[in-house]
Amino acid sequence: MNRHVKETDLALYASGDVSLWQRAAIHLHVRRCERCREVAGEFRADARALRDASAGLPEGLDWARLSAEMTANIRVGLEAGECVAPRVRGRLRKSVPASIPERWRPVALASAVAAMLTVMLAGAWWLNVPAQDTQALNRAMHSIWHGHAAMSDERGAVIEASSEGIELRKNGGSLGVTQDAARLMTVSVSTQGSASAHYVDQDTGQVTITSVYAQ
Amino acid sequence: MRNKILILALATAIGSTAQTLGRKLDFPADSPVTAVSSDWSETRATPRGGAYVLDVHAVLSLRNSSQKRIRGVMLAVQAQEVTPGGKGSVSVPSLDVAPGEAFPLRIDLPLLCPLGAGGPMVEVKLDGVLFDDLTFYGSDRLNSRRRMTVWELEARRDRKYFKTLLETAGNDGLQKEILSSIARQADRPSTGVQMVRGRSTNTDPEREVQFAFLHMPDSPVDPTTGTARIAGNEARMPHINIQNRSERGVKHLELGWIVKDQQGREFLAASIPSDVNLAPGKSGLVAQDTALRFSERTQVDSMTGFVSSAEYSDGSYWIPTRGELNDPKLRGVIAPSPEEQRLLQIYRKKGLNGLIEELKKF
Repeated sequence: MNRHVKETDLALYASGDVSLWQRAAIHLHVRRCERCREVAGEFRADARALRDASAGLPEGLDWARLSAEMTANIRVGLEAGECVAPRVRGRLRKSVPASIPERWRPVALASAVAAMLTVMLAGAWWLNVPAQDTQALNRAMHSIWHGHAAMSDERGAVIEASSEGIELRKNGGSLGVTQDAARLMTVSVSTQGSASAHYVDQDTGQVTITSVYAQ
Repeated sequence: MRNKILILALATAIGSTAQTLGRKLDFPADSPVTAVSSDWSETRATPRGGAYVLDVHAVLSLRNSSQKRIRGVMLAVQAQEVTPGGKGSVSVPSLDVAPGEAFPLRIDLPLLCPLGAGGPMVEVKLDGVLFDDLTFYGSDRLNSRRRMTVWELEARRDRKYFKTLLETAGNDGLQKEILSSIARQADRPSTGVQMVRGRSTNTDPEREVQFAFLHMPDSPVDPTTGTARIAGNEARMPHINIQNRSERGVKHLELGWIVKDQQGREFLAASIPSDVNLAPGKSGLVAQDTALRFSERTQVDSMTGFVSSAEYSDGSYWIPTRGELNDPKLRGVIAPSPEEQRLLQIYRKKGLNGLIEELKKF
């Protein structure tokens, strides 16, 4: 065996944090390679020692203070690392994690920009596009997904009456007359291409009949 | 700094898109109603694709400038007449407006109009006014004369029915009937129904189903036979043979179409209006290339038709009597008339005494 397993992988193997197939591959290697078996054994021993030590931590330990100190130390470490790291060209490069290989960085940058644009477009859609349009788009996507894209909604004007009001749909878009549900008394459809909704004013009793026409 | 740029870009992307909306109240010079005031502050126009969506919310105050009492008004509200979705109407039946009096009319209607150089525009026109002597004024482009006359005749029938009940059965009898009507409204089954013109794309096997008919003794027209094509939750192409059994010509007919599903629920699916021009004793056919689609769980089992109104050639009308509407099959599915809806709301708001006071006005 002329190639040994990396120490990081052995550490993960010892703590049981590798995938199933990787675990099997390392296990096969460790059985034959005395050096790697020793290293893995050391990692296991370290883990046991750490568990034993943590069981004996003093009572009344100030976890908040410990956490703050650890955070501060991490920041110091990161800043020190930046001082010694090679300079990265361009401001945008700073947003790319150093762990990404150099040749993949343009792709990562493009992905980040695309994600940002997607979020902006989704926000604009959510704030600007009426819910009825979103529903129409959902219906169209649902029809395409389930393989029956030529539903009648796309064949011409569709007039719909329901307990929520009346609606006229055409070319995937829709127009709905939905007022205060408490005022809606009756909806009706005429086969000549119209629908009506009867609303009653709760104070005066005045009836208002709103109709939409397909043509 | 980067955050500020991001927020600025987002604000630009989602910036306000509401447009200034042009509006026009177009009443003829000799109109029996005049606009006293109008509030359009809630109306908005929003670009959507290649069109504007006009979300019209307006409150008009109209005055009766005629010498007669007004019973009904219908306004045509339109963005662009040739565009589907560009036309609507708002009607107020069951009015009793004396000459010189003002009354409110609320418009809540979304409309579509194409994007154009002139900007979004909504136009409100007077389609018709019905007076207490059943005379009519207006362009009648939306058949407002027929619709408002039928509503007014139904209003007279229902007021007379309740007044007679008050005289014969007293307050308790009237209250019992009102409560029964409120309960019927609450129990009346309803289902979503879509109406499309022409052939549907339903893939279920299609079958021809015969209509059953409710025969009303006083109806001038009798439906004799009829069929529709049924496929799953869809019914289309109603064909109904009719016969004029009266001694007068009938020029227009409206049929009610009741559907029963496989769970036994019955509901009024649609009305079938038709110009028939039927001479006395003659037969004719009402046929429409229309499809009705119900919710997916509604499988159409059977259908019933009935005549809901008819217009004679001389311009007079026939509507069913309260007795005919008391048919057990109709009672549960027919919606109350606009006047009955108004009276029920007065009862809910003001109680029995308020209702009795209202009935005494007529």
